Amino acid sequence: MIVPADPLLAVDSPAVTRRSVVRGYEVAVSARRLVKRYKDGTEANRGINIDLRRGEVIAILGPNGAGKTTFLRQVTTELRPSSGRITVFGVDTVRDPERARQMMGIAPQEAGLFESLRVRDHLELFARLKGLSRRAAAAAAAKTMEDLDLVADANRRVRTLSAGQRRRILLGLALVGHPPLLVLDEPTTGLDPAARRAMWNILRRAVGNGASVILSTHYMEEAERLSDRIGIISTGRLIAFGTLAELTACLDCRYRLTFHDSSDPSADLCVERYATFGELQAEIARRRLSEYSIAGATLEDVYLELVGERFPDEAAQGERR
Amino acid sequence: MTRRVSDIWCVFQIHLERVRAEAGPFILAALVFPAAMYLFATAVGSEASAGVDDTERRLRFLAGSIVFSLSLTAISWLGYLLLENRFTGRLRLFATLPLAASSYAFGILLFGLAQAALGTSSLLLVSRFFGVRTALTLPAAFLLVVLIVLMMLCGCGIALVIASHARSFSEGSLLTDALGAGFVLVAPIYYAPESLPRALQYLSRLLPTTYAARAVQATLTGRHDVTDDLLVLAFMALVTLTVGFRSMRWRED
Repeated sequence: MIVPADPLLAVDSPAVTRRSVVRGYEVAVSARRLVKRYKDGTEANRGINIDLRRGEVIAILGPNGAGKTTFLRQVTTELRPSSGRITVFGVDTVRDPERARQMMGIAPQEAGLFESLRVRDHLELFARLKGLSRRAAAAAAAKTMEDLDLVADANRRVRTLSAGQRRRILLGLALVGHPPLLVLDEPTTGLDPAARRAMWNILRRAVGNGASVILSTHYMEEAERLSDRIGIISTGRLIAFGTLAELTACLDCRYRLTFHDSSDPSADLCVERYATFGELQAEIARRRLSEYSIAGATLEDVYLELVGERFPDEAAQGERR
Repeated sequence: MTRRVSDIWCVFQIHLERVRAEAGPFILAALVFPAAMYLFATAVGSEASAGVDDTERRLRFLAGSIVFSLSLTAISWLGYLLLENRFTGRLRLFATLPLAASSYAFGILLFGLAQAALGTSSLLLVSRFFGVRTALTLPAAFLLVVLIVLMMLCGCGIALVIASHARSFSEGSLLTDALGAGFVLVAPIYYAPESLPRALQYLSRLLPTTYAARAVQATLTGRHDVTDDLLVLAFMALVTLTVGFRSMRWRED
């Protein structure tokens, strides 16, 4: 099993967390022994320890119902932890949720927009609710619309917009006012590939401007391309946490062979994994394969080994095929 | 404090924008139903209560229609908005902001008050076309405003409780509709209290609409002796709002 990487960040000293600094890194979010137990006894999160450094992007992966959203909702103060502690830039989210929320831009997974509000109204009014003055809110809304390529739609009512545009507004509500921390729950779910890439660029710009980001996603590629570190949550536990290189380095099988099984022409592509390149070469020779592809381990391999199931978006694509 | 006022104003504006875009149904809810009820009550009442002073009867029906409009606005409409915000995920947009839950509730209440002012003014104007002559003095008008605010506070508290506890949108919506109209029909608003069955007479004493209708009728005739009714309404508003705010939580356990 891959264990949470970066022992530097496993430091759990109250004196250290008070300063929001762990060994030279300024910490945006610190979660310690986070447990969420519901009244029916279900444990959605079981002792999660995680740190998000300032300016870093963390992607949280995991199957449906693993506890990703529960974790994020505890960070955003929507859900009270049963035990454990979360701080956002040193502010305890349980003791002072309003102050913690002042530092966050949040895009919830299932949030509805006001259909009859115009795009500009949405951004301006929510910027003011974040504490900006009327003039600052207007300027922040204009900048956000520019960043999100929504200037042409500024005066359109939300009901006339596409799903992709609505998603961009939701992200805009999180981005407006440049909060230092962005918490995004599956920000690109339901978007087409082009819209998804546009969203990634927006997030990269936000990070370039100094934001720290914690996001959950169902897309491997998103996690690989956007994040500095990746956490995998399964059955409420953080079962892996580290950079992509750290995660793949811990795999038992680091090489992947993809080929057609000649004994069964109607079968799908076969994928097999090997610990060493020598073992892989031996298998190619044994099977006398003439057409095949070789790849190093990917995040998907890590996920499959840890969670033991196909990733949701891959499974969906498989079903469509 | 300034921040709190600004937050309430923003929540109000967000909901006001919606009225601008969907003015028809809002006017229908605030004006047409109560006006129709006034006409119906006048038609039925003139046959049932022959000998009673026509002006007094018309003023009672007008007061009843104003309270009907307030009840619909406060319980049914505000309840509907709160439920819609909760079950369409809009509430999460507010809950994830540095915004106090009470600011959100007061923003919605302010929106309800604006609607109530619009509905009551419209009913008073329309009633003149039906030949109703009120004797509203300036002090009585001030009392009427206070009554409207208290009735709205009571209704908002009830709407908050329903919207916080409803398990589904349809369940909550049914409840707000039933209570919005039911509070008017069960209270002695369009008819004399003694004409109600004894059980309903007792029940009606627990309803804010009973006191609001009596006090509104008094102010429409230019009387100022509504202190008792105001106090009862203020007490009810305090209770319902306290329970309402306690029911409302930004953070789930």
